[in-house]
Amino acid sequence: MKFREYEAKKIFRDAGIPVPNSELITRAGEATSAQARVADKVVLKAQVDVGGRGKAGGILPATEENISEVAKELFGKTIKGLPVELVLVEEALEIQHEYYLSITIDRSAKMPVILFSEEGGVEIETLAKEQPDALHRAFIDPCFTDVPDFIMRNVLGSAPKSIGPVINALYHVYCKTDAILAEINPLVMTPKGVIAADGKIVLDDNALDRQGISENRDLTPREAEAEKHGFSYVELGGDIGVIGNGAGLTMATLDIIAHYNGQAANFLDVGGGAGFERVARAVRLVASMPGVKVIVVNLLGGITRCDEVARGIIDAGVPQQVIVRLAGTNEAEGRRLLEEKGYLMLDTMDQAIRAAVEVANK
Amino acid sequence: MIYADKDTEILVQGATGSQGAFHINLMNQYAKEVGGRGVVAGMTPGKGGQQVHGVPVYNTVWSAMDHHDIGASVIFVPAGGCGDAIMEAADARIPTVVVITEHIPVHDVMRAISYARTCGTKVIGPNCPGFLIPGECKLGITPTNLCRKGDIGVISRSGTLTYEVISELSLAGFGQSGIIGIGGDPIIGQTFSDVMDVFVADGKTRATVLIGEVGGNLEIRGAKRAACLGMPVVAYIAGISAPKEKRMGHAGAIVEGGESDAASKIERLKDLGIPVATRPSEIPLLVKEVI
Repeated sequence: MKFREYEAKKIFRDAGIPVPNSELITRAGEATSAQARVADKVVLKAQVDVGGRGKAGGILPATEENISEVAKELFGKTIKGLPVELVLVEEALEIQHEYYLSITIDRSAKMPVILFSEEGGVEIETLAKEQPDALHRAFIDPCFTDVPDFIMRNVLGSAPKSIGPVINALYHVYCKTDAILAEINPLVMTPKGVIAADGKIVLDDNALDRQGISENRDLTPREAEAEKHGFSYVELGGDIGVIGNGAGLTMATLDIIAHYNGQAANFLDVGGGAGFERVARAVRLVASMPGVKVIVVNLLGGITRCDEVARGIIDAGVPQQVIVRLAGTNEAEGRRLLEEKGYLMLDTMDQAIRAAVEVANK
Repeated sequence: MIYADKDTEILVQGATGSQGAFHINLMNQYAKEVGGRGVVAGMTPGKGGQQVHGVPVYNTVWSAMDHHDIGASVIFVPAGGCGDAIMEAADARIPTVVVITEHIPVHDVMRAISYARTCGTKVIGPNCPGFLIPGECKLGITPTNLCRKGDIGVISRSGTLTYEVISELSLAGFGQSGIIGIGGDPIIGQTFSDVMDVFVADGKTRATVLIGEVGGNLEIRGAKRAACLGMPVVAYIAGISAPKEKRMGHAGAIVEGGESDAASKIERLKDLGIPVATRPSEIPLLVKEVI
């Protein structure tokens, strides 16, 4: 889940990372008084969950004279489809130099990686491609509690040493918030020292519980409902509902539907070890999406038991035809239960998916 | 030996939970079938002295080690405590640790894998089905009825897709030398390349099937490693129809832009001279061509 800029900056401030003076407002009428408390010159920054907000007109400078008009303009906007409902009134910084700093996960090294560049304020993907040497990278063993000096020296290169404590503090933020990305872009040098001008934190969804977050606001309502029950669920817009177990098998099911010129409506991965109640809930959830004509269930029992799956499908009793392919743990019992009730059972995933595509295209 | 064999004594952490207990039974049924040692000990803090399907349970990994010659551990501990469980196994110097649990916070996984490396412990997973060496041993949850003994190695990021592939291979008459699920998370212990090394060192594998998916670049590294080692490889990459930025079930299966989508992975594998199946049922045909 993504934290917004103002949330990230609050966490930065608490961790000792310098941030600009600012105040969050919820309507244009609050802008003038906020500005009086924040600074003479301010920028108004829309707090929306999209990237490239500056280019889309979501960041506007303002002075005492024009702030109410600027605020009205910003609150009246939608940025990449999202209405502006929150605005950060923030002191305008005297920028001497901009840097890029982030900490993320390197899959190959299996460790956190610090990315730092003396060229800030840019898209990092572009920088990495066009000037790979300008991007300093260093891995930190996750067993370290601080960034060691030898790593800091390599990361900073010829940049001022005063940035070191910010990097270390950002590493603490990254670990403490279970982040998969903690970013300051740009990190700016001002006459008053180094300041985080923008901030972004993306949390590991598997750690939201222990971070005290009960609801992942990045999800659509149906996805949230699915997640509440521990399912992975994605909506795709076609007419074949898909239930699988295991991400790979479910993805392969979508690929084969496409191969036979069918269109998946959604997919739901019931995960490992689903009992019959969970399976029934999954079938109902997939079937509840408007436009679903047929459901294909492709399950290979490992930690999941086929007899439980069969009971779940029968218990769900949805109006659409359910075409089933079951194999693996307790397969014989699962097949027997479904065959008794007259479900269409096929032996391979190819056959089951082809049959579902035929029903959908009829 | 591919991580373990008949003689390996197995520990199960999280032995008294429903999944742990259920699979201790299945692992030991397989051990009985093939004449192996199987699961000799379980471990759950606070449940020491109990038995699960006749297997004694201990409070700590070290106390299990005092009574048995443990060669590998299989972990069914719930996500919140799983990073800790991996470190406890590594601390006791267990050579191979298989982690079945999914949804472990990624910071816990990074720390546990780093610590395990300093202990000389190989971690397989997390979020994986473990491994099955037909005729030798089963550590994890892979259904044994689908496999047969042979000389094709299978390495996969996805549990159920692995079952699909081994069932296709077995039906086509290709037995397996080892079936290793490496896990679907962004951070995993043993990678395609690591397993490739183990297959080559063992010397009984004629060709390897590499089952990947969107996200990361482990498949390409594994394929390059196989080329270095002279191991014939056939690949399948799931997620060609995966929309961008959506997490497709696995935490590691997300198209991150650049070269982690299925189409560009397939392209790069083909550039390396590796045949790539368009669906699992094609894999046996491609295997036939490379051996």
